[in-house]
Amino acid sequence: MFLTMKVAFRNISRQKKRSFLLAGAIAFGMLVITLINALTGGVVGNIRDNFSHALGGHVFIMGREWTDAGQMIMKIRPDGRLDRLLEENAAQIEGFTRRSQAMPSLIFGSKQTMHLLYGVDFEEEDKLLGSLAVTEGSLNEVLTQDDVIILPQPVAERLGVLVGETLLIRLETLTGQQNVGEVKVAALIEDQEQLGLSASYISRSYLNALLGMDPHEYQLLNMFVTDLDGVEIFARTFREALRNPDEQEEVEAEAEPEVSVTVGGMPIDPLPQQEEVTRWEGTRYQVMNINQIMEAVELVVGVLNRVGLVIFLILLVVTMVGITNTFRMMMIERTKEIGTMRAFGMHQKQVKHIFLWEAVFLGLLGCLAGLVLSAVVTLVVGSIRFNAAPSMQFFLDDGRISFALSLPETILNTALVVFTSLIAAYWPARAAAKLSPMKALSSHT
Amino acid sequence: MAIVELENVKKVYTLGKAEVHALRGVTFAIDKGDFASIVGPSGSGKSTILNLIGCIDQPTEGVVRIDGTITEGLKDKGLTTLRHETLGFIFQSFNLIPVLNVYENIEFPLLLGKNRPSKKEIKEWIEFLVEAVGLADHMHHKSNELSGGQRQRVAIARALATKPEIVLADEPTANLDSKTGQSIIELMKKMNAELNTTFIFSTHDRTIMEIADHVIQLLDGLVVEDSKTGAKAGNLL
Repeated sequence: MFLTMKVAFRNISRQKKRSFLLAGAIAFGMLVITLINALTGGVVGNIRDNFSHALGGHVFIMGREWTDAGQMIMKIRPDGRLDRLLEENAAQIEGFTRRSQAMPSLIFGSKQTMHLLYGVDFEEEDKLLGSLAVTEGSLNEVLTQDDVIILPQPVAERLGVLVGETLLIRLETLTGQQNVGEVKVAALIEDQEQLGLSASYISRSYLNALLGMDPHEYQLLNMFVTDLDGVEIFARTFREALRNPDEQEEVEAEAEPEVSVTVGGMPIDPLPQQEEVTRWEGTRYQVMNINQIMEAVELVVGVLNRVGLVIFLILLVVTMVGITNTFRMMMIERTKEIGTMRAFGMHQKQVKHIFLWEAVFLGLLGCLAGLVLSAVVTLVVGSIRFNAAPSMQFFLDDGRISFALSLPETILNTALVVFTSLIAAYWPARAAAKLSPMKALSSHT
Repeated sequence: MAIVELENVKKVYTLGKAEVHALRGVTFAIDKGDFASIVGPSGSGKSTILNLIGCIDQPTEGVVRIDGTITEGLKDKGLTTLRHETLGFIFQSFNLIPVLNVYENIEFPLLLGKNRPSKKEIKEWIEFLVEAVGLADHMHHKSNELSGGQRQRVAIARALATKPEIVLADEPTANLDSKTGQSIIELMKKMNAELNTTFIFSTHDRTIMEIADHVIQLLDGLVVEDSKTGAKAGNLL
């Protein structure tokens, strides 16, 4: 095998220009697919980060309980189990936030719209402020005043409200009474509705007051984890530990909760209408993680990756035709050489292997060149800070395009290239092996 | 003892609808250690005979026996193994493998078989061969860095690499000037004497014929004279 490999490797350098062109074509294909994969990988990472900042964490815990009047409300009260769990898993928690939320009517003049509103402790959530793309106004005010709101730009446009103007918030308290608050617009931010994330932000204590909750209560406990890869296991730990014994049977019959990431854009699972409502005592918790919300984004990214794969496959097919033709030409050029090798006792299989090894080396060289080129492109492009539109900032990391290449994808693409090269070279290699030694030796090439 | 035997060998090639009778019933034997020459004009069947002895072609009729093995009925694998174990080749246009250097070209046949000598043995043997053909200073040169005579010396060393019983040389001096050709023939003769390898070569060159200890003359696909048996079909050359 070593001999056939050696001859094959030397043959690559025999026609340098031809090998360069063939490997170059392969490298181009590899460059395209690697860049697409790396770009989508980076975008997913950035969206995940920005999502987690906007939603206030990677793992989300919601509490539900029944009031005496028979209403189900979302509320998390001080709970020893939860405190203990937070303490036990402190090493895996980078930070956590507590939020309230509502779907109030925002009213300005004669116009009104319903929109998701998060009650946030802005001092606790400095990451959120960093991730918001401000189009108008300033976020400074929210740190000092309670009755100010951060609105998405399209919502402000629908209402016709400007920064500095005051609008009304009308909502139902947890117990069902109507309540109204008056808030000033502090800043407008870029909307991410197309990604299923559109929310306004206000001080949690202000929203709690409107909802009829105590200042120390909240509805969502959001946690940033240290290891995002282990987020599923982490969420499961909380889910199982917070499950009440009476919940066990019901939960076993249920599938994993499905999250709708549409207008609400929040990782909540309001009581499904089809659910048969059975009252329970105390608080029941629901635990979800960022991956469930990212499914929609990853679906879009998956489509993009598939488009990249199709382009890659088309390039591979074109290259394959090139390889087949080149190898046929090589076979003709080396006919006498093949005859000589056969005369000295080289078996048909070994002749075939020389050609196939050449294809493998060409494929690997092309892949390597493509990867090196990709690395150069990603380094150069990744170092440029773009002054992109605010909506694009959601896809960027501090204004820069990030690239994240997955090793399994790279290995898979390389294997695909090598396999395709082998397929392309197989028939000329077979024909070379089948050449009659006598005819090959009497050839004039 | 005969190492090569041909019995009433016929070879017919089909060219389109026409049949070409390259050999029309050839019978002769070559003994082990012979320095045999097959001579004759173009188209007399010299190359066809070498192809048959070299197991790269099969006769249409008759028996070809190489070192006791009848080639008829052997599949490609068997013929390849027979070639590798018993035969060496020297070609008119040298046919060195261009991507390999002198050492690697000579080593090449040794790496093809299953029962390979050790690396050390290979190295020693190649160094001996390179020394014997006078190319010790060119061990790591590629074939395109050598003259015609040097290339043919490499080809001789390569032909002897597997210590074959028989070396076949198809007009080995045809592409060389007379002086170089002479030196090549002398080298072959020397190796024949030293290693007791049977050399069979086809040639037009009368001076080379004179060195041979066994001359088989061909004409129109028939043996017209065999110097060993004294058989003559007429004074045709």
